Amino acid sequence: MKARIAIFLSIGLALAAQVAPRFERAQPIPVLDSVPDDEAVAKVIAPLSVELRASFGKELVLAPQGLFRGRGGEENFLGYWVADLMRERAQQVVGAPVRFAITNSGGLRGNIRPGMVKIADIYEVMPFENELVVAEYTGAEIMQIVKDGITRRLGEPCSGVQAKVIGTLEKPEFVITWSDGSPIDPKEMVKVALTDYLLASGDSIATLRRGRNPITTGVPLRDLLIDACAKLGTLKVPLTSPAGQRFVFTPEILQAIRDKKLVW
Amino acid sequence: MQRRHFLASLGAAAATSRLSLHGEDAPGTARLTLLHTNDTHSRIEPFGAGNGAISGKGGMARRATLVKQLRAQLGNVLLLDAGDVFQGTPYFNRYKGLLDYKLMSMMGYDASTLGNHDFDNGVEGLLAAMAEAKFPFVSCNLDMKGAPSLAQRVQPWIVKEFPGLKVGITGVCVNFKGLVAPKGHAGVIWLNPLESLKPVVKLLREQEKVDMVVLLSHLGHDLKGSGWDDLTLARQLPGVDVIIGGHSHTFLEEPVRVKNEGGETLIFQVGFGGVSLGRIDFTVSRGVVKAASGASLSVTN
Repeated sequence: MKARIAIFLSIGLALAAQVAPRFERAQPIPVLDSVPDDEAVAKVIAPLSVELRASFGKELVLAPQGLFRGRGGEENFLGYWVADLMRERAQQVVGAPVRFAITNSGGLRGNIRPGMVKIADIYEVMPFENELVVAEYTGAEIMQIVKDGITRRLGEPCSGVQAKVIGTLEKPEFVITWSDGSPIDPKEMVKVALTDYLLASGDSIATLRRGRNPITTGVPLRDLLIDACAKLGTLKVPLTSPAGQRFVFTPEILQAIRDKKLVW
Repeated sequence: MQRRHFLASLGAAAATSRLSLHGEDAPGTARLTLLHTNDTHSRIEPFGAGNGAISGKGGMARRATLVKQLRAQLGNVLLLDAGDVFQGTPYFNRYKGLLDYKLMSMMGYDASTLGNHDFDNGVEGLLAAMAEAKFPFVSCNLDMKGAPSLAQRVQPWIVKEFPGLKVGITGVCVNFKGLVAPKGHAGVIWLNPLESLKPVVKLLREQEKVDMVVLLSHLGHDLKGSGWDDLTLARQLPGVDVIIGGHSHTFLEEPVRVKNEGGETLIFQVGFGGVSLGRIDFTVSRGVVKAASGASLSVTN
């Protein structure tokens, strides 16, 4: 007991020389519309907001249902739309079949909400200055890329393949084909559309960095989306969801991937 | 600000804050309040309609009003940001972050750390925007020997002093791998946050003799084992009083309290986009150590 009291005294002496901040309480204070604008800050923003609206407020196309990224295994229709456009434009640029396209869901920073799509909306979806590139990968590498995307984020937005994880937790089965159902030859070298960011960094999918013979297209991804919307708008065709069902999971496997507990 | 507007803003703050604006400090005590944001992502204006629960919330002009009135009421206040000020709206594409830092300077931010998106326009882009920042940047886990201009602008730690109180502030950034294109962080190398923080906390405590250590963390709240996060760091690193978190856009209603060898570390994070302004209140006992009375209970029992 004496030893324990001695310990207390030494602590007391050590701390007595300092002040001691003690946590009292905390809260997030919501920044609501009932809070008036600070005049000085508002004065700086106002003319810039007018300028932005003039250049970013242009209406492009009607998206009656919007396009959303989905969460936790839901269909990522926005991502599918982007990946489809990437594959289509890449084929036009290189003049050869591009079998697969991938983007990263983390690179799509907003949803397209139902209603008229403006240029500003596309900037919110794709704020980065990423460029479309084409590189070559083997079929086996594409399968690994898709698998890693599933492990990481329940499937990164892809175009050109259909993937299923079925079976049981003890014996999961990964089935992947081209989107027309034909088998992927692991040894075949094919062209893939992706972004310069993904090719350089991999975004945690290391295989993406192995792309061979990269071709820079000079097409910024954001321009690709703006052009696609503008084209539909000109034709008075609404922007609607592309084909889904690109990733299929059994419910228990979906949960296991979410919990990062699937061993496969 | 005109008088009628100021009075209106005071009323608005009282309505939005559950906490007292008129703290009556007990004799021998003072109060320190941390106000904080994270992942504001160039959200200069409030969120528009169609954004679910956050529609209509946020906006830097409103945040400035809240900060101004809380400062007027509370006295000892630090206004801090946990990184990712950049990227997310056309404001960033057009003004490259200069506007964000200019408005943060007008609000009187005391310090900010850097997030991965703050490198989206590369080191040169970041430096250009920093020309508008009249506040310090702190980060202790970035080796900037290859980017000396940035190293001059980013300090591993700072100390802010109030009457009778010294507060050490440092910061950490998330691993660039998979988040920042290599050309974006040219000359800057990410370092292990725990190993980087240990000597900084020791220095702040033992040499600078700070009374409190605040960590601005852009690691993320809970990465579920996939990398360093605030929860893991708090468990392994004693000596930090509070972690102001960011990166994971986590909406916390109250701080998470994590026990560690040094006692306890608080972790707080307020979502993203400036939807909320975080507030943490501390009471500071001058010359009387309230923590010691807690220790006496455990010993005599």
